[in-house]
Amino acid sequence: MKELVEYIVKALVDNPDQVVVNETSGESVTIFEIKAAPEDVGKVIGREGRIANSIRAIVKAAAAKQNKKVTVEILTDDSRPKSKPAE
Amino acid sequence: MKSVKMKGKNVEEATRHALEVLGGKEENAKVIVLNEGKSGMLGIGAEEAEVEVVLREGLADDAKRVLQDILDKMEFMAVADGNLEGERVELVIKGEDMGQIIGKDGATLKSLEILVSSILGQIYGERVRVGIDADGYKDKRKQALERLAKDVLDEVSKTGEEKVMPPMNAADRRIVHLFLQDKPNVTTYSKGEGRDRRLVVAPR
Repeated sequence: MKELVEYIVKALVDNPDQVVVNETSGESVTIFEIKAAPEDVGKVIGREGRIANSIRAIVKAAAAKQNKKVTVEILTDDSRPKSKPAE
Repeated sequence: MKSVKMKGKNVEEATRHALEVLGGKEENAKVIVLNEGKSGMLGIGAEEAEVEVVLREGLADDAKRVLQDILDKMEFMAVADGNLEGERVELVIKGEDMGQIIGKDGATLKSLEILVSSILGQIYGERVRVGIDADGYKDKRKQALERLAKDVLDEVSKTGEEKVMPPMNAADRRIVHLFLQDKPNVTTYSKGEGRDRRLVVAPR
């Protein structure tokens, strides 16, 4: 599933070589953290978060098929997870 | 993506030359008029027309490939197909796991549309419109929404009171609005913002 996240994010940005996806597997939830070049973060989040939300929806759909739960966070400049828009 | 700039007596001629050079058809091309040209008086003050022609032949294939890559990496058993229809790429997904690919109220399908369109926008450097359907979902959705709209139409006609529809996305609201716009008894408008935006059906 990490491959899925990497594929999508790298295809969306100007600097794919600077995209890093970290995967942390907990007991019940797997967390994906996305890092991108500062000038690319906007492209990963999109207007009103629509691209970020779409990435989440796709990764969750893929996870659901394998009976897994996932969270996707996009790290911004200051390295704090971007607050998640309401789902 | 191939493109060329070309001058000619007028826009048509410049476009025709550009398409010859690119070896493509007009329906696959986007023509940007850089200068409409002037005929002038007896050749004085005449200006040649100039166009930039961008061939988008590969667009449908690129869209298909991106969608297929995503479906494969999602480990869904599904195949993407599609064509360029005017300015818009229309893709269709066939295979297993259709329910999961469509998602609740088509939410997963919509997310795929947003991502494939954004990725192509990144590749082509301009906005690319992409529609994705799976298992006839869009037609079924349209029929269901029109049945709902018909029920609301009957209710509003009978009671003479306006009725607020449940929150719907822009595409769904549009279907209901188009269905009701030529009905003599009612009129529609939208209220609310973002995810809570709703269509209101009011007596005329």
